Amino acid sequence: MDTSIGSEYNELREEIRSFFAANQDAAVPAGPGFGGEASEVRRRTVEWQKRLVDAGFAARTIPTRYGGAGHDPDPLAKLVIEEEFSEAGISLGMENQGISMFVPTLLHYGREDQKQALIRPTIRGEMIWCQGYSEPGSGSDLASLRTSAVLDGDEYVINGQKIWTSGAREADMMFALVRTEADAGKHGGISYIVLSMDTPGIEVRPLMTMTGDASFNEVFFTDVRVPAMNVVGRPGQGWEVGTYTLRYERNMLGRSNATENYFDGCVDILRETGLIESPVYRDRLLKLEGRVQAMKYHQLRLLTDMLKKRDSGAGGLIVKLNNCQLNYDICALAIDGMAERGVLKRGSKHVRDYGNWQRNYMYALGLIIGGGTAQIQKNIIGERGLGLPREPKPAAA
Amino acid sequence: MDFGLTQPQELLRNSIARFLAQDVGLERVRRVMDSESGRDEAIHGQLGDQGITGLLIDMDLGGSGLGMQEAAIAAQEIGRAAAPVNFHSSCVLAPLLIAGADSGERRSDLLEGIAEGKTLVTPILDAPIEDGRLDGSVLYVPDAAWADAFLLENEGSLHLLDATTAGIAVEPLQTVDDTRRVADVTFLSVDLGTAHSLGGNADSTRRAVHAARIALAADALGAAQKGLHISVEYARERKQFDRVIGSFQAVKHICAEVLAEVDPVQSLLWHAAAVWDEGSDEIDRFAPLLKAHATDVASQAVTMATQVMGGIGFTHECDMHVFYKRAGYDRQMLGNPTALREEVAAVMYG
Repeated sequence: MDTSIGSEYNELREEIRSFFAANQDAAVPAGPGFGGEASEVRRRTVEWQKRLVDAGFAARTIPTRYGGAGHDPDPLAKLVIEEEFSEAGISLGMENQGISMFVPTLLHYGREDQKQALIRPTIRGEMIWCQGYSEPGSGSDLASLRTSAVLDGDEYVINGQKIWTSGAREADMMFALVRTEADAGKHGGISYIVLSMDTPGIEVRPLMTMTGDASFNEVFFTDVRVPAMNVVGRPGQGWEVGTYTLRYERNMLGRSNATENYFDGCVDILRETGLIESPVYRDRLLKLEGRVQAMKYHQLRLLTDMLKKRDSGAGGLIVKLNNCQLNYDICALAIDGMAERGVLKRGSKHVRDYGNWQRNYMYALGLIIGGGTAQIQKNIIGERGLGLPREPKPAAA
Repeated sequence: MDFGLTQPQELLRNSIARFLAQDVGLERVRRVMDSESGRDEAIHGQLGDQGITGLLIDMDLGGSGLGMQEAAIAAQEIGRAAAPVNFHSSCVLAPLLIAGADSGERRSDLLEGIAEGKTLVTPILDAPIEDGRLDGSVLYVPDAAWADAFLLENEGSLHLLDATTAGIAVEPLQTVDDTRRVADVTFLSVDLGTAHSLGGNADSTRRAVHAARIALAADALGAAQKGLHISVEYARERKQFDRVIGSFQAVKHICAEVLAEVDPVQSLLWHAAAVWDEGSDEIDRFAPLLKAHATDVASQAVTMATQVMGGIGFTHECDMHVFYKRAGYDRQMLGNPTALREEVAAVMYG
């Protein structure tokens, strides 16, 4: 076993550190200590994103012709970058559905003109995406989706409804799964299409969540005309294209660096309140530390599998389940550490870290449910990871 | 970066696993469990022949000259097989303590004897030594009833005492995990002059104890993985309500939850072993953190794996209880999870 990263990466570390020194003015902190007025948060986030992309720390492996840094995929360089940013407590940029999910999919399945037009603004934070997958009747059973897209000349006419659409009001664009062939079977008639949120016939209604944010939306489509050219991959290939993206979603929901930054923030709270001296709190904290460290090194194991082009088996399937629950439990301890102060929310006098702990506590619960509920994850782990049989289909009535 | 087993380590694991499956099957383990003494007379010699007792001993003394990563591999397979050996004590703690000592010829003889599987040395930490005399009882000493010698540690200095020395009384105890036994050892004012001084130092003792904890964590992980394996196999076969029970989500989700907790422990184990091999002080954090986490996860894993089996899991006939009890022993020895978490907290947070 070789856990060293190698001295050839020292140069990269130096590069990162001098980047920090030169860009202190714009650096966005990672973890719970960043917040404030929404438009200012957005402005700073986008500004930081551009600097990261220009320096090649974000969108690192995206080819230069699409605006990225064009580096070969190097999981170790990625690890070094993540380590340095995490240690410095500095954000590694935007993590949204456009960057983490849409771009990898487009790179794999998209046409050249689609890549040319869409990737550069997306990675620079100038084009924000939302994902149109779930429908009122199609949650965990996504392939039962019914939003229809009927070809009319060189356009599809879309009718139907999406739900749980994160960031739909802020988004410029949507990538969506729609049914282009009604009788091609459950999985066969689906296409993956991109569309502008400005297109006539789209109505977005915010769906207030328990965090107090309207981060979810319902999106209604009434005779929305979208160029047929906007399909990514072939018509009818959407299930394959869309589930390729879901792999990236599981990855995004399972990143362990943010987890470590939140863990450190939790330690800070316990230190400030003096509860770090309490054996009961210490025990709770150290239970979490064991889980955090186990997942941290688990990621290294998965990274090694990736380097060796080896299947991680069940190892990859457990990341989302574990990390979402871990994030939730870390926030819970931090809030307990605040005692009565823990009842405050964003905007209140006395609130700690802009109310990020309270918000993230609830948001993490949303993530336990979203992107494949914990129960669906357990089915996948049981069936694909352990070879247990699927639940038999109910007998026809 | 190659975070995983190297090819030689894979080969080592496979060869240890094959040996344990062929020569130390569960039938033999059960015979030892059912015996009064709990002693398997042949096991150390066989482990010596396989090079397992000498993994951590230098090559010029007949060992393999390998590190904690390899010892952890062996410990995990030994746990998975529930082999009747206190590996953490006789094959990890003892040789490492002796290797850290500074006395010449006797030290080499001992290590050679351990590497061959001919000498069983049982370490006693915090031995009751005062004014050149050994006086008092030490409780829960692994293998004490059949040790060839006791290795007495006190504030870092080491003394070797032949087990046949006059004034030593050993009283075997009954353990829940019948695969490994402990005993009380009472010293009736034994003159330390009858023991052989080996020198030693506190730093090497501290590292040796961490190594033994890593070995116990690895043993627990192996037992937990075996327990999960048994229950998953059962859940794939056993039918109720005309369905295999593994197709019920109530059962499937238990198995998935156990796997999700157990699998990352493997990585933490590898990391802790690598930290030990590097000689870094980080081991003061990672060895106790690993043992606390791994044995907590293992306890939960064997608990839930037993439940998956239903009534059969509660029977003596079913193998599950062997691993259930195995994890319990690993949990309590050399610091239980709660005590170890406090130890890590003191290192990390003062």
